[in-house]
Amino acid sequence: MRRSRIGLASAGLMAVAGLTLAGCAAAEEEVATEAGDTTEEAAPAEETFDVYALLPQGNDQAYGTTYLPPMEAKAAELGINLTITNSEYDGDKQASECEVAVAAQPDGIILWPAIADTIRPCLEAADAAGIPVWVTNADVNPEDAPLTYGYSGTDSYGQGAASAEIMCEIVDGAEIGIIQINGVTGNSVATLRGDGFRETIASDCPNVTILAEQPGDWVPDKSQIAASEMLTSVGVENVQGMYAADDSMIKGGIDALKARDLDPADFFITSIGNTFLGNPLVVSGELDGTVFQSSSWDGENAVVGIYNAMTGATSQGRDDEGSVLYMPNPKVTAANASDADVAPEW
Amino acid sequence: MSQTQSLKLGSSDTSFLGRARLVVARRTEGRGVALLAIILVVVSLTQPLVFTAYPVSLGRIALIGLVALGLTAVILMGELDLSVASTLAVSGVVMALIPDVWLGILAALAMGLVIGVINAFFVAVVGINSFIATLGMLFALRGLAYILSDETPVRLTDTDAGIAFGQALIGPLTPRVLIFVLAFLALQIFVSRVKAGREFFAVGGNRQAAYDAGIPVKRRIFTGFMISGFVASLAGVINTLERTAADPRAGLTVLLASFAAAIIGGNYLKGGRGSIVGTLIGATALGVLQVALTLSGIQVPVQEIFIGLILLLAVTTDPASLRAVLGSIRSVRQGRSKSRA
Amino acid sequence: MAKETLTEVITVAQGDEQQPSKPRSVLPWMAENGIFIFTALLILGAAVFVDGFASLVNITDVFHRAAPIGIVAVGMTFVVISGNYLDLSVVAQVATSAVIFLAVSNVYGVPIAMLAALLAAIAYALVNGIAVGYFKANAVIVTLSTTYIGIGVLRYFSGGSIFFGPEDGPIRAFGTAKLGPVPYSALVLILVTLILAFVLSRTNFGFLVRSFGVNESATRLGGVNTGYVIVGAFFVTALAAMVAGWVLAAFSNTAVSSMSTGYDFQALAAIIVGGTSVFGGKGSVLRTLLGVVFVSVLTNILVLSNITFGYQQVALGILIVVAVTIDALSRKVGTR
Repeated sequence: MRRSRIGLASAGLMAVAGLTLAGCAAAEEEVATEAGDTTEEAAPAEETFDVYALLPQGNDQAYGTTYLPPMEAKAAELGINLTITNSEYDGDKQASECEVAVAAQPDGIILWPAIADTIRPCLEAADAAGIPVWVTNADVNPEDAPLTYGYSGTDSYGQGAASAEIMCEIVDGAEIGIIQINGVTGNSVATLRGDGFRETIASDCPNVTILAEQPGDWVPDKSQIAASEMLTSVGVENVQGMYAADDSMIKGGIDALKARDLDPADFFITSIGNTFLGNPLVVSGELDGTVFQSSSWDGENAVVGIYNAMTGATSQGRDDEGSVLYMPNPKVTAANASDADVAPEW
Repeated sequence: MSQTQSLKLGSSDTSFLGRARLVVARRTEGRGVALLAIILVVVSLTQPLVFTAYPVSLGRIALIGLVALGLTAVILMGELDLSVASTLAVSGVVMALIPDVWLGILAALAMGLVIGVINAFFVAVVGINSFIATLGMLFALRGLAYILSDETPVRLTDTDAGIAFGQALIGPLTPRVLIFVLAFLALQIFVSRVKAGREFFAVGGNRQAAYDAGIPVKRRIFTGFMISGFVASLAGVINTLERTAADPRAGLTVLLASFAAAIIGGNYLKGGRGSIVGTLIGATALGVLQVALTLSGIQVPVQEIFIGLILLLAVTTDPASLRAVLGSIRSVRQGRSKSRA
Repeated sequence: MAKETLTEVITVAQGDEQQPSKPRSVLPWMAENGIFIFTALLILGAAVFVDGFASLVNITDVFHRAAPIGIVAVGMTFVVISGNYLDLSVVAQVATSAVIFLAVSNVYGVPIAMLAALLAAIAYALVNGIAVGYFKANAVIVTLSTTYIGIGVLRYFSGGSIFFGPEDGPIRAFGTAKLGPVPYSALVLILVTLILAFVLSRTNFGFLVRSFGVNESATRLGGVNTGYVIVGAFFVTALAAMVAGWVLAAFSNTAVSSMSTGYDFQALAAIIVGGTSVFGGKGSVLRTLLGVVFVSVLTNILVLSNITFGYQQVALGILIVVAVTIDALSRKVGTR
């Protein structure tokens, strides 16, 4: 009994001692850096900013991998020190990273919400600390927008809608059935694109019926199996078209058709992305249309946006000009697939 | 020729240093403390913000540590509970679906207890290996969370309550941190002072002997899993309140970090040895490390490599492992010299 | 001397297994043979009740589902039978193998790509095997840490980029080739299963792996350098994961670091459902193959019936619990 008390006490003492020592060292260092900062600010040499970028993807996904380099290049150009995080679409992880970011007192925060419904506490914390927040790629909910300084990026719902518009156009009033391949279940981009596509079809061309939906998890192999099984389940003869939330998945779907000796050109097929995988499919005629998403535009404008916010060009609330920059969603069809301005980036 | 060997029993050395040495040798938290000390020193030199902004670090420690504490109760008995991640998620969803905040919290906590009972039933009554049983529950409960939430996050009806919960309550400490401290104290007292809790070690160390000694092993297993389930659902409630919405996909990153915290803190997965304090130390080490890595701006893949290496080191350098390796090396060398002889 | 002790150990264990189950106990018999019956029933039921199941195209789809996971599962059986729970790093290994295979073959050709993937597999096997076999560390935590390290390294070098091969390349040709309704990937699965079944049941190494699972202390006391055995078990898993990565890359002619998510638990589910015990010692590669077939057919049926993802997860969870319950109950009944 006494031994365990001794053990507990010594462990506790060591931990406390460690923390106190560290705290003292930190306090000393902080005083030193603060003094250093004031002298730096006095001499207005080059203005550098410290910015935290809270992202839900990065080197783990194709889009993120090509989003980062243009972002970092633009940041270097504007004299911004970027600290980048990747919460892998985990809402709790991003919230925790946000707390850390706010504590670091940067000059600005670039925020790409993993889950729009859970991001408000982060926005309020940044607001209370006086740190401007610029939202990128996926927007926050409308009621939370006034807490931010602006938004630049895609409109996942709009992308789904644009793809649906292409579908409606090429179907041209015929009564057809299609199958739908979605992204990872629960992922906000997947949900928004799915909703955008589904609702636009329902409103613009109800002659198109969505016969089945399954997740393809953003990868071609799972999409191919899912598409093939959906075709079996609803009957191939009832399907005249296919939509996937992303070019990689539509590639899987197209391969599923080919595996059954069906010609994709006979089907109405649309998707989103205009990627290295998707663009050639449009050129070859297998894919009827996709929506261009420029990862470099996205990454660059995130930095431009926060720069404007930090330098006062835009203020809180989305009232200023230039506080909402929508990435154009150009539709890519056989007509313009080979144009230079829609050259795939990722 | 008679050789008299005098065995110097450790317990006969009554000097203070002798007793202290014995205590230190018997405690399992040694490596955890060593790792924590190293991390604290390195971090204080490179990222002092971790300490000056200590509410944030404490919050991260509480995030990892709460679930880890519940897990420790189960690990001490030699069992595993993988379902905590899904328990967290589904409890949060259930709470968010109910409009009244307090009723929702009660429902979520009750759910955690029920899940604990189900887990314990499969382990203690049916006799399934706990790894598998809780693995099955991990899948099933995750599916349930998706079904109930319709695969999207569920918002709280009363978001103001949620935002209020995220504000500091006593000094700079948020309710999350306070609940964590209370949970730690409660579990530590339970495991060290309460008879039922102390029996957890016996159940884990030698289950047959525990049966023979008259310990109601099955009841203890039920208690352990109920603790783990309750704590997981408590974590789910806290997360949902702070985020003002419940994410059916929550919990997976916390699951891995919690196990890591328990292991780093010196808990033996086979049971019988370890401590709640050890888990606290492990969670502190991991939490501080994670926050420091985030602040450092090192590329995320490199951060992951870092954490993986530390975990690998922690698990291969416990005394039993080192003894095993030395033994293997010795036997290989002996084998070689024998074959030469 | 050493061998004799081991032989005794194995004979006793096998004797327990081969005891004719008393007719009055249904459960042990169910645990032993249930998987055969259930799989047959499932396939028959699906052929009759589920529209389109029995078509050639769908059979091919089931094979496509089964092949990569199946190869991983039969390889991982070695780790499970040795009493080491599972190998979580197969997720990282399959993705690494697929990415290396495609990325390197685009530049240097297929044989060099295979060699590069082999090097990665050896690295995984050594780290996992030495930590678990010589340091006696817990396999779950070790493989968890190697997963972190492996995924970190993979992402650092490849990012999340999707690699793809040329449309007319040999990889694409392999991926789309079929023998009747059976795709080449399934043929690879069958080949790997046969080879590994032979290794596990008829070689000295396989014998040692099984004895390790049955009674670890007896095996160690027997004086065998048991570290080798565990390294070997992880080596088999790594090789299997490597081949699975090739097959997966060939299927879609693409490779991306996120391709293999879920492979660890799905493979484990197949192994358990097949009747291999997580306690170790009992089971076989052929049973795992059967488990893979069962799980693949079941998932196929669920998708054909338009069941949503949430319900699919619930079904998988219940399946695992039921399978293990039968096993556990039968064990209890058997020892009474």
